[in-house]
Amino acid sequence: MSRLEFPEATRVRHGAKAPVIALAGGALLLVSGLLSWSYDDRILGDISIRFYPAGIQVYAMVLGAVAIVLGVLLLRRPPWLDPGRGLRMLGVGSLVVVVVALVAIAAQTGGLINANEGVWIALVGALAVAVSGRLTPAVEVDVRTWPRLSSTVEILLIAALMAVVLFVTAYTLGLDDAGTFGCLLATLITLVVAAAAAGLGDYVGFIGANNRRVLILAAFVVAFLFPFTQNGSSANMSIATQILIFAGTALGLNIVVGLAGLLDLGYIAFLGTGAYVGAMLSQSAFATVGWKPPFVIVMLCGMTVAAIFGLIIGSPTLRVSGDYLAIVTLGFGEIFRLAMFNLDGNNGPDLTNGPNGIPGIPDLNFFGFDFGETHTLLGVPLDKFSNYYFLLLAFLAFVILVFVRLNNSRLGRGWVAIREDERAAEAMGVNTFGLKLLAFAVGASLAGLAGTIKAHVDTSVTPDQYIFLESAFLLAAVVLGGMGTVTGVLVGATILKLLPEKLRQVNEYRLLAFGLLLVLMMRFRPEGLVPSKRRQLEFHQQDEALSDLAEAEHLQEAK
Amino acid sequence: MDAFAQQLVNGLTLGSLYALIAVGYTVVYGIIQLINFAHGEIFMIGAFGALSTWLVFFQGNTALWTLPIMIAGAVGASVLTAVGMERFAYRPLRNAPRLAPLITAIGISVFLQEAVRLFYGDIPGFPDAKQKVPFPQIDVVTGPAFNVAGVTIQRSTIFTVGALIICAAALFYFVSRTRTGRAMQAVSQDPDTARLMGINVDRIIVVAFVIGATLAAIAGVAQGLQVTNINFKMGFLAGLKAFTAAVLGGIGNIWGAVVGGLTLGIVESMAVQFVPGTFGGSPWKDVWAFAILILVLVFRPQGILGAKVVDRA
Repeated sequence: MSRLEFPEATRVRHGAKAPVIALAGGALLLVSGLLSWSYDDRILGDISIRFYPAGIQVYAMVLGAVAIVLGVLLLRRPPWLDPGRGLRMLGVGSLVVVVVALVAIAAQTGGLINANEGVWIALVGALAVAVSGRLTPAVEVDVRTWPRLSSTVEILLIAALMAVVLFVTAYTLGLDDAGTFGCLLATLITLVVAAAAAGLGDYVGFIGANNRRVLILAAFVVAFLFPFTQNGSSANMSIATQILIFAGTALGLNIVVGLAGLLDLGYIAFLGTGAYVGAMLSQSAFATVGWKPPFVIVMLCGMTVAAIFGLIIGSPTLRVSGDYLAIVTLGFGEIFRLAMFNLDGNNGPDLTNGPNGIPGIPDLNFFGFDFGETHTLLGVPLDKFSNYYFLLLAFLAFVILVFVRLNNSRLGRGWVAIREDERAAEAMGVNTFGLKLLAFAVGASLAGLAGTIKAHVDTSVTPDQYIFLESAFLLAAVVLGGMGTVTGVLVGATILKLLPEKLRQVNEYRLLAFGLLLVLMMRFRPEGLVPSKRRQLEFHQQDEALSDLAEAEHLQEAK
Repeated sequence: MDAFAQQLVNGLTLGSLYALIAVGYTVVYGIIQLINFAHGEIFMIGAFGALSTWLVFFQGNTALWTLPIMIAGAVGASVLTAVGMERFAYRPLRNAPRLAPLITAIGISVFLQEAVRLFYGDIPGFPDAKQKVPFPQIDVVTGPAFNVAGVTIQRSTIFTVGALIICAAALFYFVSRTRTGRAMQAVSQDPDTARLMGINVDRIIVVAFVIGATLAAIAGVAQGLQVTNINFKMGFLAGLKAFTAAVLGGIGNIWGAVVGGLTLGIVESMAVQFVPGTFGGSPWKDVWAFAILILVLVFRPQGILGAKVVDRA
């Protein structure tokens, strides 16, 4: 962070000019949006027309507006905010957005000559914002002066925030142009990071903690409304169902890894178990088991079988721990995949049709409600994937409920105790082996449940869907988002599933980027994007401000 | 009896390969208790390094004298990768919680595989590495197999086993007779005291990575000669098996890695031949290898030869 700032002397001497520079930079960004960015009207949408902002020009204007707000806040700084830090992040992010746009223009139209005045003004504006951020002197942030709003206002704030989230999500997913999508993504990341750096993120978290139920309800309402913004198009809904399955499974893994601290590298096997149980007991002509029970029974079977596997895989935890346990679970995961690959009748009993898997799994049918058909509700057509989306949303709600209830229970505290220090936990009377087994069983059964639904969404189950890399992806979702938190895992799962789908042009490089991302995350932000404060403290023990913040939040929770 | 002898030879071949890779896991683990999960990729990069050297200097020439230079190229590529990985990914995490290096290792592993898959073919003159790439078949070390009393012995088998013997001897000399080797022993016993005695621990850690990478590179060449082709995925399974071998022998113990590698190779070959019924045969051999890994970790985590007491969270 310190490398982003000017020397202390410069900052003290010129610090007073920072707000003015910020306001000027913001104004330039605002104006640039109204001007033409390129002679060519075929790139990044159409950004060649003056006084008609489109795509990236709008983003530049939003960035400018935020810069102006932060500049004003810098002039009259509330003690709980640090607009300077926010401006710093905003400036760097805006520069990235503008430079990316510039490069895109240059690359796609054959030279910088095609860049118009707008983009250059935006560049100057972004530079000014960055400079202003770096000029502001360091300030003390006092989180105890957070303004208390009436609960009605707070709830309205949450509702407004959620409405923005819904709108932005629908808008983002509606973009087809990968370049514009990339710029929007950079803009959104910039805005979120800048808000968090300025201290707004913590405040929103504080309001959220005050109105936990409202927040959760609002989040689910937004998620519920999402299919209605898609107008029956299945492209995004199919991605959304995959995200929900992935997020639900990752949350199950989060119980094992995030709460109990047991690293599981073969977790995808449980999802696979559920999927195979779902496929084998389905109406598919290729199902290898004659019994075709109703889906509720199938779900229970999937959960039970996965839980039994979880118990088997968990049993070595009595004797091994740490890295060794990770390798044991990895071994089990590989054995699962190989077994599914081999059980084709030639090598052992015919259970899975070997590498071909079980195709042709029919859609679900609840009491005459066919999930495969398009239903119309309130004039909006809801296709197959929307139907599954609602089912999966209910599933995710169930998983979150299980996770939160466990986290706040005697069991959850036992797990955290085991994670922190197993010997001390045992000395305090925690049944460590029983709890560790339970963590594996609960996590596995949730993944198994997800698997039974996944079998019907995908309509086929094959062994190559359950390779080690998928386990690594699940783990990455947990680590990326923040271990032990619900929001973090949801964010992580969404990022990992959504980005490759939307950035088709760079899809070839997604694994490369994934590997690099894991390394960089561990290096620079090992606690994840949305960490729990306690977890964050474990990684940054010397950070006193953080410790204060954790304490403030803890007090708030205790009230 | 013939079948048994044949499987013994096959097992020794496989086992020598595992042993060469396993040394890398065990040396690094013995010094900093880090499971270098990306070690399999070092092995893969070694094979590609050898291939690249051959393509650049000797394309079409399969004379025996090109082999040492290929091996040198392989070792160069592997060592460079391993040292870079240690310097930029693992060293900053030296005091981080245990989960962090493991996840970093998974990241590096995926990254290296993808880097080879995507970019190897972009280098002028090099083949596309998205599928299997043929590996040069060098004279003398490949070619018609020998037949000794009804047992077929491939020439590459002799190369692999010979490489293991030479490497093991060199390693023995290095660890027990040289200053650096003794410093390594000291660091693995007690890093803090070793530092007080004037040993540069950071340097020793790099040396450990270099040793592992060298042996893995030689294994990569051996694998190329044996299988006649290489691919970007070859490191994953080989690395996992070699790790099993290291654990089997007692991780942290160099001789344990050799013993464990040979044991695992022989057990795997025997399982193919002698496990009766539908669960026998080559489709299940990997399953048996992993089953052994799990059983060893559960019932004798210190391995066959035994090593430090395993209790790390």
